[in-house]
Amino acid sequence: MRNRDADDRGSWYLLTGLVIGVILGIVYAWVLWPIEYINTAPASLRPDFKAQYRALAASAYLASGNLERAKTRLEVLKDGDMTLQVSGQAAAWMDGTHPESEVRGLNLLAAALQQGPLPTLLQAIQTTPSPTSTQTGLSSTPVIILTSSIDFTATPTPTATRETPTVQPKISLTPAPTITPLPTRTPTPTPGGAFVLQKQEFICNPNLTLPYLQIEVMDAGGAPVPGVEIIVLWDGGEDHFFTGLKPDLGLGYADFVMSQGVTYNLRLAEGGTPVSGITATECEAPGAGRIWGSWYLSFSQP
Amino acid sequence: MIGIGAAIGLVYGWFINPVEYVNTAPNSLRKDYKADYILMVAEAYKVEQNLDIAIRRLALLGEEAPIDMVSQAMATAVEYQYDPTDLVLMQTLADGLRTWYPGSPEVP
Repeated sequence: MRNRDADDRGSWYLLTGLVIGVILGIVYAWVLWPIEYINTAPASLRPDFKAQYRALAASAYLASGNLERAKTRLEVLKDGDMTLQVSGQAAAWMDGTHPESEVRGLNLLAAALQQGPLPTLLQAIQTTPSPTSTQTGLSSTPVIILTSSIDFTATPTPTATRETPTVQPKISLTPAPTITPLPTRTPTPTPGGAFVLQKQEFICNPNLTLPYLQIEVMDAGGAPVPGVEIIVLWDGGEDHFFTGLKPDLGLGYADFVMSQGVTYNLRLAEGGTPVSGITATECEAPGAGRIWGSWYLSFSQP
Repeated sequence: MIGIGAAIGLVYGWFINPVEYVNTAPNSLRKDYKADYILMVAEAYKVEQNLDIAIRRLALLGEEAPIDMVSQAMATAVEYQYDPTDLVLMQTLADGLRTWYPGSPEVP
């Protein structure tokens, strides 16, 4: 009987010792000497840090135009289909909480991963820092206008240079907006000539809940052209945007949401046919009643 | 017996089922990855010319002074024989950081 009691106590002692040992081990491992991760690879980064890394790689791609280098940087993240990851992140980051430049970079990198390098697009983006996207357009923020040519190569380190930007105050307080040719330092040749308006169509699509200005730009061969800068002007404001920022809708596609009661004039920065007098207009859609219609403009090179 | 058990444990831990690091932070990156990260910051800075954004990006690498991070990255870049134009980009970023203080106007 006494021996059995001693055996029972012995088992409890062992278990108690084990528990105390585990506690001491955890205290030692978590508090006294916690693991320090060093010399890790980007693949082990936390998902939000990976997203930051991806966005930075996209911003660097915008600067260098080096797609191979961007791919190498994305490969080290080892998260599967890099095109899918970048385009998914680009879509997720278009919620207005992330820097516009990074969102733009992600969109363009996604497009480049799908279609190959986009020198025209990069040139347009690089030479127009932070295009305004507000409809007020009344600030006196200087607008940097550049049209210098940049030679993008596939070398590991691009040697692109650009001229000193010309800073020109934005003047947009005139009662009626006029389309004023922007001064350029050097002419930017457009292979195939200026874009010509081929089609202007009013669309009454119940799937479009907002009045859109939809633009599609194609080259002489009918291929979509990304990176074409579009300038929209209205009474008291202007906006600049680019084709190709929504690659899922086409590399030559761009759109702009119109405001009610505002008349817009539009032209492509590279020249071509200006379009004026566009307004948001309601229409009667079958089965959907009265909705906002959209304008579809198609430009192509002759 | 303890030695045999320890050996089995090491073989298992090192070769059969080695530790996989997950959810790490950028400050734990190997120095060549850090250098490339800083090169990315420098490349983006070349176009954006925004030191606040550059510093926000560098801050992910730790609490060290940004200029020190860039200096170390440049040393790594020299060690790994980066292209001279990459070094120029990093130097440009370093030059910008030397003149920066919070809230200062951007250096053109």
